[in-house]
Amino acid sequence: MSDISNVDFERIKHKKRMATEDIIFYIFNTAFLLLFAVVTLYPVLNTLAYSFNDGNDAVRGGIYLLPRRFSLRSYQEVLFERDGIHQGAKVTVARTVLGTLTSLAANALLSFILSRKKFLFKSSLSLFWIITMYASGGLIPVLILFRYLHLTSSFWVYIIPGMVSAFNVMVMRTYMQGIPDSLEEAAQLEGAGYMRVFISIITPLCKPVYATIALFVAVYHWNAWFDAMLYNRFDPQYTTLQYELMKLLDSVSATTGGQGSAAQMTAANANTLTPITVRAAATIATMAPIIALYPFLQRYFVTGLTIGGVKE
Amino acid sequence: MENSISESKVKNPKKEIDINKPKFTVKEFKRQWVLVAISAVYVIYGIIFYYLPLVGWIMAFQKFVYRDNIIQAITGSKWVGLDKFKFLFSNNKFPIVIRNTFAMGTLNLIFSTIAAIVFAILLNEVRNKYFKKSIQTISYMPHFLSWIIVVAIVHDALTSTGIVNDLLMRVGILKQPYAFLGDPKLFWGIVTFSNLWKETGWNAIIYLAAITSIDPCLYESASIDGAGRFQKMRYVTLPGLRPTIMILLLMNVGNVLNAGFELQYLLGNGLVQNVSRTIDIYVLDWALDAKNMDYSLGTAAGIFKTVVSMTFIVGANYIAKRKGDDRLF
Amino acid sequence: MKTKKIVSLVLASMLAVSSFAACSTTTTDGTTTAGGGGDVETSAEGEKEIVDFTMFAAMAGKEKDADNEIMQIIAEKTGVRVKETWLTGQDAGEAIGSIIASGKLPDLIDGGDGCVTLYENGLLVAWDDYLEKYPNLKEMYTEQEWDQFRMDDGHIYWANVFGNSYDHNTATGHNGEAFWIQVRVLEWAGYPKIETLDEYFDLLERYAEANPELPDGTTVIPYTCLCEDWKYYCLENAPMFLDGYPNDGCVIVNIDAGQSNPKVVDYNTTDTAKMYFKKLNEEYAKGAIDPDFATQTYDEYIAKLSTGRVLGLCDQYWDFAYSIMGPFATPLTATDGTEFRLDELGCDYVPLGLVAEKGMDQQWHSYDDELNCSSGCAVTTSCSDPDLAFAFLSALLDQDIHDLRFWGIEGVDYLVDEETGLYYRTEEMRENWKSDSYKAKHSCEYSYCPQWLGMSKDGINRMQPGEQPSEFIESLAGPLRACFEAYGVGTYSEFIGSKVVVNAPWYPLWSWSNSLGTDTEGGIAWKDMGECKHYWLPTVVMSSNFESDWAAYQEAYAACNPQAFLDEAQAAVNERLETAKSFGWTEPA
Repeated sequence: MSDISNVDFERIKHKKRMATEDIIFYIFNTAFLLLFAVVTLYPVLNTLAYSFNDGNDAVRGGIYLLPRRFSLRSYQEVLFERDGIHQGAKVTVARTVLGTLTSLAANALLSFILSRKKFLFKSSLSLFWIITMYASGGLIPVLILFRYLHLTSSFWVYIIPGMVSAFNVMVMRTYMQGIPDSLEEAAQLEGAGYMRVFISIITPLCKPVYATIALFVAVYHWNAWFDAMLYNRFDPQYTTLQYELMKLLDSVSATTGGQGSAAQMTAANANTLTPITVRAAATIATMAPIIALYPFLQRYFVTGLTIGGVKE
Repeated sequence: MENSISESKVKNPKKEIDINKPKFTVKEFKRQWVLVAISAVYVIYGIIFYYLPLVGWIMAFQKFVYRDNIIQAITGSKWVGLDKFKFLFSNNKFPIVIRNTFAMGTLNLIFSTIAAIVFAILLNEVRNKYFKKSIQTISYMPHFLSWIIVVAIVHDALTSTGIVNDLLMRVGILKQPYAFLGDPKLFWGIVTFSNLWKETGWNAIIYLAAITSIDPCLYESASIDGAGRFQKMRYVTLPGLRPTIMILLLMNVGNVLNAGFELQYLLGNGLVQNVSRTIDIYVLDWALDAKNMDYSLGTAAGIFKTVVSMTFIVGANYIAKRKGDDRLF
Repeated sequence: MKTKKIVSLVLASMLAVSSFAACSTTTTDGTTTAGGGGDVETSAEGEKEIVDFTMFAAMAGKEKDADNEIMQIIAEKTGVRVKETWLTGQDAGEAIGSIIASGKLPDLIDGGDGCVTLYENGLLVAWDDYLEKYPNLKEMYTEQEWDQFRMDDGHIYWANVFGNSYDHNTATGHNGEAFWIQVRVLEWAGYPKIETLDEYFDLLERYAEANPELPDGTTVIPYTCLCEDWKYYCLENAPMFLDGYPNDGCVIVNIDAGQSNPKVVDYNTTDTAKMYFKKLNEEYAKGAIDPDFATQTYDEYIAKLSTGRVLGLCDQYWDFAYSIMGPFATPLTATDGTEFRLDELGCDYVPLGLVAEKGMDQQWHSYDDELNCSSGCAVTTSCSDPDLAFAFLSALLDQDIHDLRFWGIEGVDYLVDEETGLYYRTEEMRENWKSDSYKAKHSCEYSYCPQWLGMSKDGINRMQPGEQPSEFIESLAGPLRACFEAYGVGTYSEFIGSKVVVNAPWYPLWSWSNSLGTDTEGGIAWKDMGECKHYWLPTVVMSSNFESDWAAYQEAYAACNPQAFLDEAQAAVNERLETAKSFGWTEPA
């Protein structure tokens, strides 16, 4: 290296120029992100406000950021007054933990296989799984299949069928493909088999994508209710948290087409009207644990895990 | 090996040789037996849970009437061949419905991809750890709200007494409240906006994770070369994100016809029904009424969607292959 | 190492998963007979065994707590306890389809629109023999009416539990459709007789001008109308009533030539229809109609109504009245700081049976019972003891159990006047019965099982508290009561003053049109007509050139091939008439 003083000069000049550019950019960026955050936070705050509002008062509408008439009634109803909620919570926690772990493992292993450049059936196996994303037999055929597999009226219907998801696999595969081949080759030179490479080399480097997929799967299980209804409708011991909450909400939905006799509609409506506040409280109660979980996962979203492998 | 590569490169300078293309030799097979064995298990699993139900597609070719015993049901239902498909396509509403679904799906694809990428990149530029974390956490919160809640807010804001009209009148752009919700020309825009609002933060998660996998050395060398912030974005970040972007784009191209049901259903009304009805809404309306529970029609529509999706995917994948990009298969 | 720990954890759970899956604990063998309940449990005293049944109703509803008090009492008396599940997040057809496919049926079911499918799959138990055995059940309908429930194979598979009055109809409310108006508007004008649309809107306009604001400063909306999805009937079917016809829902059935010669008429193309929409168009131009009416959601609609701002609307009672009861009784603050309540202000609604021409008769209200044969309560083949199920359904109609279901426990939920023997409730009891959580813990209506309206078997009280005159009057706010008095009536049904008729054999025709599929030309036409109207009706109301837009609408409507639908409707009417004749119906004099 020849002119050290020249290099220094350049660097200083660069730094000064960048300082002004930097500041302008930071200001705009921060302002923009803040604006974005405010806009996205609003619906959540609005829901929060409704959840703490008195039911009758909330029907009138017009609640924005703060409750107009404070009341904890909705939370009480959502959290404590329904029988099934406790069982539902237990089942949901179980399926979230178990489902996330098994799904993560199953998806990761397949992604690993598909990301190995020399894998003989890479293309065909990928296509095989891609098709599953867009082709479905429909609700009823799947139900019948599960019935014959003895998966209905069971907890395992939540875990086994959904274990492998093509979307997650593709995302993880892309990430794994980004890991330099040299690492794998170096390990194989030292006699490591594929499984060893997967466990000791690839997995530690995949923490960000593992955390991402774990989050996706966990959220899916946490919010799941439709499968509980379809497969375990008459088995209250397998109910999920969200299913119990859905049952609580105003189900006189717009899809109830056609009129019934006035007397019947009376019975339906007199029995089921749920205040908007209960819906809000149920939403917040479901959201809160996930939001609390995320910071725990965030520490996996860290740069610098790819270095320290092999010198190029 | 090396010779053949350089030779080939001289012969076909434009065509890249893929030295890693799988070679179907017995030796290779033995080397990979673990991978092959495990993937066999996955194939069996996939067949059981994903391909077996496709037998249900036979319903689309029958006037399917449900019978408790599935064998009886299939053999007992009358075969109508392509009648259901004919019904779908001949109905004068179907092209409109496809147009709507396609338009909203494409708009959504383009804008949400751009928004998520931009958001991820901008967020990545933030130095302060706490600011970054909190913005990110806030950004994906709307994802957990149901569409019923989000649409209620959007809808309320656009009524004649809502915030939007209020602001526009105050500023003087409008003299009278405008009926945004009844204007068919604005519907697709409102839908796209609602999607962006609710899902951008969540969609950005994948991109943020991908950004962390970009080697910091690349940024450093770019700095040394005198690259400014935007140049780094252009020459380091975006290329680093490219595989992820491409894969997600590819997968979502296949979803363009799944443009949705709940959002369009909740936001739609009689005045805009011509632009708001998607395939799913249409199928629900025409196929799934209780008397007939016309699974056949619903299944036929499903098959149609699958065929179109797969066509798009194969096409897009081929384009990606030709361009040398990452591909799905 | 951490990684190793995680990996071993993961592998262990995968092993656990596979081993648990291997020894599955489920016992279903794919057939439907093994499903359902039938678990037997002995009660504490060990006297009577209580059987647990499950029930599914393809309608929305609220589940009861497992330890519900009255459920337990009824269980001890009848030997049966029923756990009810309701429709959630699906529509009836989907739900029934998925239940059948899952192979697990409840013991009792009300399949709503899906009842026919259940029958076609041979999943329901015939009622015929049990009707002979259990007179309570047989009493629900006349021979003729039971015959209408018969399916192709000659048997009866379900019984509709609604709209059935014991002895005579004692309805106090008007549950159906009407042009509603706030009591304070009538009061302000001195309780006039309002019969036509012109009089109605004229009054709304004048009142709004004189009283543009509520005490808390919110502006008044003279008239609004819901157009959302299938509830657009609020806008759409008024012409049928305005011409004096009852609610057949999809067409007018003209009986000028006598009830043996009914003729189907399309109410969408009549002169009355044009007059009605023209009137709405004029009112909209004047600003008397809510500018958001065409796009408002159901929630927004209810929100507006619950603020008391809306002076008039057209809708069916059950669609809005229950949602606004709570808000109307809530204290609000006026701009000057005083408190007020909307019901005390006179914001309650009363029904007006408007007509096209002054002096005409109208049938907005039906005083007769309605028979809806398309759905009802049924027992499935999955039930382990059908005889017990029918015995249970029959026992539910015993007066003491019926009272437990709808009135509650004597002394806790209602009191008995010593002299008259009339049941009545205190304010606290009434409040309790409005509370969801109280009802979940305490009350057990079995609302989709056989039940009665009308007079109680003791001849004094009513089957339902809502129809008990004393209870009814007590629950009315001051201005509403005053309004009734001013017009010389005691109930909503008297107020609306419709013509008293015996329902025609084909009535209500909407039970036919609701079940129309798309496999017939008429069915397709019906769907097309609906979509056409959804767009055009709000458009002609808001139009700045009514004549040309109305012409365009009529053209688009004609393009939907409505004649195909009308032909099928006529056929349905004729068929129902024939069926009635075969059971001995004769034309009333």
